[in-house]
Amino acid sequence: MWQGLLLAAFGGALVGLQNIFNKRVHEKASPWTTTTLVLGMGFAASLLMGLLMEGEQLFNLGNMKLWFWFSGVIGVGVVVCITQATKLLGPTYATSIALISQIGFALWWDTQGWMGLEKVPFTFNQAAGVLIIVGGILVFKLGGAVKLRSARKPLKDAG
Amino acid sequence: MKGWIYAVLGGGFIALQGAANARISADIGTWQAATITQFTGFVTALLIALAVGGGSFKELKRVKPLYLFGGAFAAAVIYSNVTAIQSVGLTLTVAAVLIAQLAMTFVIESRGWFGIAKQKMGLPQFIGIAMMIAGVIVLKS
Repeated sequence: MWQGLLLAAFGGALVGLQNIFNKRVHEKASPWTTTTLVLGMGFAASLLMGLLMEGEQLFNLGNMKLWFWFSGVIGVGVVVCITQATKLLGPTYATSIALISQIGFALWWDTQGWMGLEKVPFTFNQAAGVLIIVGGILVFKLGGAVKLRSARKPLKDAG
Repeated sequence: MKGWIYAVLGGGFIALQGAANARISADIGTWQAATITQFTGFVTALLIALAVGGGSFKELKRVKPLYLFGGAFAAAVIYSNVTAIQSVGLTLTVAAVLIAQLAMTFVIESRGWFGIAKQKMGLPQFIGIAMMIAGVIVLKS
């Protein structure tokens, strides 16, 4: 149990780091150049790791199904949606909503046993846990914003 | 309203990515799944980049080389994500990812690492992360 959580946290820390790196690329390059580079690097690294870990076995795609070839489009969908949402709502609100949506969909699919996930019955604890997490996301993302707004007020009055 | 729909869909796609990677890994292996999803995503993005035009890959010369490799983290991210989903399920995996992701951003932004403009971070961010950890404990129990 703890191993799974720690591994997920390790991945999450890398996602945070990657977001910062990608942000720095995006400052100098157009959105699609950035996305192409990011996914290209992901491909190169996965290929290299796969070859190191499995050698030629990497190319043995026994149970390959047609739709697997389209799974990469999901990542492109992420970029399109987040870019548009950020344009319309600003980064703080766009990411807050996207983070909350992530955990909401995750709970829904877990309780449906969708995509071969191990079906878990929906319980009160799960609903409460997810609601507390959602609250935490809102406090994290909006806590500073509220503080900034109140700090700005006296300046405005003075001006 | 449109912005909301995009943001909700964006979050849904991120969760879907995890679920799909776990599903594909079960059939063909984790490194195979990572390689294929990143490859097909790369080809799709490249086609869009060429169709949209506007940008040029020369722009990348102006980026500090270190930052060009951010995408490479995806290999480790996908591997740990898939393994975690297979062991604790999607909800707990997403929760742990989000906590670590926000904590990482918090540290980098509050210290101004990697040339990021230093941002004021304080009590609300600590409380937010503490609440998220509490949420995971409730979720697990």
